[in-house]
This record gives sequence, C-alpha cells and structure tokens, in this order.
Amino acid sequence: MNAASIVVLVVIGILFTLAVRRVLKKGAPCECGGSRKMCSGKGGCSCCDCCGD
Amino acid sequence: MANIKIALAGNPNSGKTTLFNDLTGSDQYVGNWPGVTVEKKDGILKGDKNVVVQDLPGIYSLSPYSLEEKVSRKFLVEENPDAILNIVDGTNIERNLYLSTQLAELGLPMVMAVNMMDVVKRNGDKIDFDKIAKALRCEVVGISALKGEGGIEAAKKAVEMARRDVSEKGPGKLPDVPHVFSGSVEHAIAHIEESIQGKVPARSIRWYAIKIFERDREIIKKLEIGVGEMKHIEEHIRDCEKELDDDSESIITNQRYEFIQGLMSKALTKSEIRKNKATLSDRIDRIVTNRILALPIFILSLCVMWWLAVADGGPGTILTDWANDGFLGDGWHLPFTTHEVDGKDYETASEEFAKAEATVKAWEAGEKKASVEDEETGEISEEWDIDEAAYNAAKEVEEPDPSQFGVWVPGIGALIGAGLEKMGVSETVASLVNDGAWGGVATVLGFVPVIFVVFLFLAFLEDCGYMARVAFIMDRLFRKFGLSGKSFIPMIVGKGCGVPAVMAARTIENERDHRMTVILATFIPCGAKTVIIAMFAALFFRDMWYVAPLMDVIGIAIIVMGGIALKKSKAFAGEAAPFVMELPAYHMPTITGIWRHTWIRLKGYILKAGLIIFPACVFLWFIMNFDFRFNLVGEEGIDQSMLATMGGWIAWLLAPLGFGTWQGAAASVSAEIAKEQATATLGLVAANMEGASTAAHVTNLFASFVPACVPEASKGAVAKLIAMSFMVFNLFIPPCMVAIAVTFREMGSKAWGWLAVGFQLFVGYTLALSIYQLGMLVMGCGFGVWTAIAILVDMFCLWAVFRPGKKVEA
Repeated sequence: MNAASIVVLVVIGILFTLAVRRVLKKGAPCECGGSRKMCSGKGGCSCCDCCGD
Repeated sequence: MANIKIALAGNPNSGKTTLFNDLTGSDQYVGNWPGVTVEKKDGILKGDKNVVVQDLPGIYSLSPYSLEEKVSRKFLVEENPDAILNIVDGTNIERNLYLSTQLAELGLPMVMAVNMMDVVKRNGDKIDFDKIAKALRCEVVGISALKGEGGIEAAKKAVEMARRDVSEKGPGKLPDVPHVFSGSVEHAIAHIEESIQGKVPARSIRWYAIKIFERDREIIKKLEIGVGEMKHIEEHIRDCEKELDDDSESIITNQRYEFIQGLMSKALTKSEIRKNKATLSDRIDRIVTNRILALPIFILSLCVMWWLAVADGGPGTILTDWANDGFLGDGWHLPFTTHEVDGKDYETASEEFAKAEATVKAWEAGEKKASVEDEETGEISEEWDIDEAAYNAAKEVEEPDPSQFGVWVPGIGALIGAGLEKMGVSETVASLVNDGAWGGVATVLGFVPVIFVVFLFLAFLEDCGYMARVAFIMDRLFRKFGLSGKSFIPMIVGKGCGVPAVMAARTIENERDHRMTVILATFIPCGAKTVIIAMFAALFFRDMWYVAPLMDVIGIAIIVMGGIALKKSKAFAGEAAPFVMELPAYHMPTITGIWRHTWIRLKGYILKAGLIIFPACVFLWFIMNFDFRFNLVGEEGIDQSMLATMGGWIAWLLAPLGFGTWQGAAASVSAEIAKEQATATLGLVAANMEGASTAAHVTNLFASFVPACVPEASKGAVAKLIAMSFMVFNLFIPPCMVAIAVTFREMGSKAWGWLAVGFQLFVGYTLALSIYQLGMLVMGCGFGVWTAIAILVDMFCLWAVFRPGKKVEA
C-alpha cells in the first residue's frame, strides 16, 4: 500500500471516528428539526428524548 | 441581575411557538394543530441574555385534565415565572379570553399579546385594548407573530413589568386581579381565601381559592386542607350551588363566559359587512371538509404531492437526475452556456459515443447484436445489428469532451474519483471511498430533491391550514370504526419523523388509545422512508407515479384496519376518546414560514447522511470486502465476505418475500439504523452487478432475485414484484432503532414494547408476503406452500378486522 492510500485511509478513519463520537455523545439526529439552542445548549434536537438529552 | 423567566402561555394554535422562534431565534417546530408542543421548551430572548422565554404547550384552561394542561399548570403555579406573556388569537378573542381570565388570577405580571392583528384589521374588526387591559388588570398589545411584528415589544413589556414587580411589589404582595364572578361566588371565594391564607403565595391566593371552589382534587390534596376546614369550605360551596342551581365547576365556567361576553360587547366591534356573511374559510371548508368530497380531495392532494416529487418529468425527478448525475456525479453544464459542436449537442454526442462503445465491445466479444441500457432503470433501451463496417466506424468515434459544449462544472463524485486517481491510491482504497464512504452518502443525498419537494408541499399544506382539516376529516372516518381523530394528529407529525410522532401520542389521555396510537403512528411513511419510495419509484415504477402515493394510502389503510382489529381485542377495547379541535382560518403561507418548515426537516436528513449513513457505509464496505479471517475478498469473492455470511443467516426468513438473499437481508437489517440506509446499502451490495450506474446495478440486483423457473417474458414483471415486496417490507416493518427505543419507553413496559414491535413486524411481513406470493400466483408462476400460508394469514387478518367486537365498558 502506497503513502497516498495510507493518507486517504487516515482521513476516512478520522471522519468515521468523529461521526461515531458525535452520535455517541449527542445521539442520532432526526428529521424532527431543532438545534442545540432548543435544549438550552445541551446539544441534541428538539425532541430531546431521542438524542438522550 | 437575576434571570427573568417569561412564560409564553395561550390556547393551542394561537401562535406561541411562532412567537417563541421570533423572540429567541430558534427553529422550534411549528404546526397549526393542537399537540405540537407537548413539553415546555426554553430559549434566551434575543438581545437580553438575562431573560429566559419558556414556550408552554397550548391549553384551553388551567384544569389538570390533559397532559398539556398538566405541564403548563405545573410550570405556571410551581416554578414561579416572573411574568406571563399571554398569546391570544385576535380572530378568536372571545374564546381565548377564557384562559386569560384564569392566568390573570395567578397574580403574576401579565402582558396580553393579541396575535394575528393583521388578519383582524383585514377583516375590518376593531379591538379596544384599553377596555380589555382595564378589565383584566394587565397590559394589552397587538402583534402579528407570523410577520414578526410587535412580538419583541410585547416581550420587552413583560420583562419591564417583571422587573418592576420584583423591585416594587414582590411575590408577598396581594395583586390587583379581576373579579369576574357574582356576589355569592365572590363571597364563597373570600371565605376560602381566608382559610388558606399562609398556605399559598399571597399573589396567587385567589387562583387557589377558585380551584378549591371548583373542588380541584390536586389542589385540595396539595394544600393538605384538614377535614374540619374542608367541611366549612364545603358549606359555602354548597350554599352557592343551591342558590345558582348548578355544580361549582359549571358555575365558574358559566360566569367566566358571561364576564367575557360582557367585556366583548364593549371591546370588540365586528365589521358590519362580515357579521352575517360566511368567511372565506367557511366557504372553502364547505368543499374541503364536505362529507363526500373530503377524502377524495385529501387523496388527490397526496397524489399531486407525489406526482411533483417522483413522476417522470416532474420537478422532483428533474432535480434528482441533476443531483445524481450532475452535482454528486460526473458534472453538469451551467445553464445558458451550452452550444453545439459539429451540429450536435453534448447529450447526442454522448449517446453516439455510448452506442459506438457498445458496438466495439459487442463485436470484440464475438456478438452480432449490440445494446445500450437506460442509465436510470438499467433496462435495455436500444438494440441493433452490428457488422465489421459498423465496428470500424465505431472505433473512430471519440469520447466527447463536455467542456467543449459549454461551461462544465465537475460533480463531487468526478472530483473525488479524479483526485484519487491523481494521488495514485490503491484499487481497494479507491473502492472504499467511491463505493463505501462516498457512494453510500451520495445515494442518500441524491434523493434530497425528492424529499425537498415532499416537505415543501407538506409545509404549504400545514401553513395554509389544510393539514388541520385532515385531522378533522380523519376523525369522521376513524369514529365510524371506534377510533378517535386524536390518534391521527401524531400520524400527521409522523410524515416528517416517527420519533416526534410517537411522542405526540402522549396528548391522548386514555392509556389504551395512547398505546394503540404509538403502535400505529409509524405506519405513515416518514421522511427517511420517502427516500426508499423515491428510489424504487425512480428505478422500477417510473411509468407508475401512483405507486408512491399508494404507499401513503396503504399506511392509512393499515392504521384504520389495524386500529379496528386492535380495538376488538380486550387490551384496547373501549369508547373512542372525544376529539375537539379548533380549525385555523385558511391563510396564504409566507415564504419564510414554508422555508423554515421545510429546512428544519431537510437539515436533519442531510445531517444524518454525514453522521449515520457515512460511518454505516464505511463499516458495511469493510465487512463486505473482508471475510471472517480478515482476508480481502474483493468483488469476486464477495459471497465469502462477513456481510454475505451474516446476511445468509437470516436470508432464509426473507425467501418467502422474494428477496431471500444476503443482499436483501443486509439492506433490510441495516435499514434499522436509519431507514434511508436501505438505499445506501443496496447501492453498496449491488456494486459488483453489471451496469454503468448505481441505478443499473440495483435494477440488475433485483433482476438476479427472480427465480430461475420464471419464464423469460415474465422476468421483468417479477423483478418489479420483488422490488414492490422489498419496498413494502421496509416501509411497514418496525421503524428505525431510535423510533423503536422511543416506542418502548412510551409503551411503559418491555412487554408492551415487544407487542408493538411484534405487531409492526407482523404487518410488514404479511404485506410483503401477500404481495409477492399472490402476485406470483396471478402471474401464473405456480402455487406453493407459502402461497397457501399467505392466503391463510390474509384470511386471519380479515377475520381480525371484520369479526364482531365485544362491548367493553370504557
């Protein structure tokens, strides 16, 4: 495997980790809308329960 | 400075959440039917960090009957907001004041914001704010929340009153509250006030006294009034009841309305022209909610929505094709920059090249015929005879350079592909990016235009006031079968997302109806399921646009029939809960309002593509390209991969539905992460199929599911049948994991949760089984054991729906 492939793999790995970390930390986003503000800055969306907020 | 807490209180659908969004800059979901705000939400007032605005659920009174009333009353009475911003619908002011009189009795500083003043003025009506202010001892201002007019000023007035109250009066002082009752009632209330002095905050003593007069059990219990004391209070109440010949609660209600009527006769001047004339809303309602026309109009509106979204040549399809082929794919020409080269446009030149390429490939393979496939459907669109002369001529045709035909903007897919090629990454890593990471996300994002059109249309229907009528129409239909229209409200919410739909069912007080609604709410295809419908409509039913609205109709039919069947069981039997709902006046929605509604839903969907679909596709690519010994298997050895092996473990369960392969199983199981993942997984697992595009791969994948015994002429139809079975299965089995988790919580116990999921699984499986098995029977593909099972299960379902129900006491 060449250096370019390793670089791409690392980038994918970082993006993968960030996405999984965000979901584990703040819960899955859903189509019900809302934003961080909705939950007094605690994160999650307007139906806080689905995000475990 | 201490924080100021402002409570936003008012009737359902009076514009509280619109004002809340305006005051706090939030994107809280707004709907014009009751029950949109089930829980209180808070936000910081724009321009004043010390002020917290609390959006409370809409209520008609401060009685503890419904969930909304409980939530709002608890906050107003127990959490001591510093001021109340009471939103009143100016077009229905008389009825809205019923709550206002009760709020005034709480003794808190109150500003009444009379909303929809633009409509009031347009109607030619006049409201005398001073007279209302004097009668209710509060400040009154006119606003238009929808247009963002007057809201901030009203909030600032409430803040000012709260600050003045804290510094000048304080909660210990007796407030100046309106006295709206007759002499004997006021006399009894005064005695009660005397009895409870010191037990309740001085400012709210009158509200508590009135509640005790109404025999409000919660308040009596909370204040721990002694038996002797209560006996004394009871004497006063009974004297009053005897004198006025009514029960205490009705006395309070009637006298409140008498007070409001008296006030309105002085403060409201209705336009002379409109007094005896039906409003525009009334005239529209005569058609839209007509007993015979209502349902066909609703179905027609669904058809229009889906036609716009998925019909061949419709705006949704045009935009989807552009998103898939252009923005996310190879690229696109900027509009108005295209021109012909040698008398041909780019499309013609590309088609000629594709034909030439096919001719060369076919001749070199020793064939006498060549063909090209439709990129979207994967079906052979043209076939022709070839000879050596045609082969030689085809070899001379060069691939057209798009940049010669106009300003060419490369698509993201093309840029990624070119970038990887330039970097010289290995084939495996390129596959991980193109087929796994980017491929999956692009498949889902490619359908953004379809759901955009669906959400835009729904936002228009909601904002103009039509969706509220749908609940009313459905109540009429539901009631015939012993169900309540109240159960349909969560289902309207469910068109966006199943999670808030399940939560919206909390507004149903009757536990049996609540549980039943939770079970049924997610049968309406949500936004994520729209992607599955869009994909299958585009790939298999392009010439049958009506298949898409049919899925919504099937969802409603399942809800009605499932509801009837459940109502006939002991666990759910009972009278349907009464459903009272205020129908908002029709009005032309604002572009900002529609955009906000659409964007709220679309944003969540796009976010999910990055946060859920991307990691899921990377993971799936990994287990699809490696076996259990972590050897790279590649496309050739894909059947030995971890995904294929694991899919095979459950594929046999899906065999009676027509897609009992590891690919079908992988797509269906992964859809439980998020429903749209089914489309991304299909794109991924079909990557080794023949064809030039993901669309062609998926079409060929379903063609490969067709049993070998099916005659050649019927293979296309059977592939469509399997596609229909797959689509229906994934639409009507339990929703995504998040919605399932919320279902379990709302059902109250694991046993009820499993019952809900089991019922949904039974419905989805039975529907798919019936479609495939009976479809095969109709097509003359034979009668087997599973055909008999499908018929028996269908007969059981019909029996469950049409059997006579037992009468059970409600």
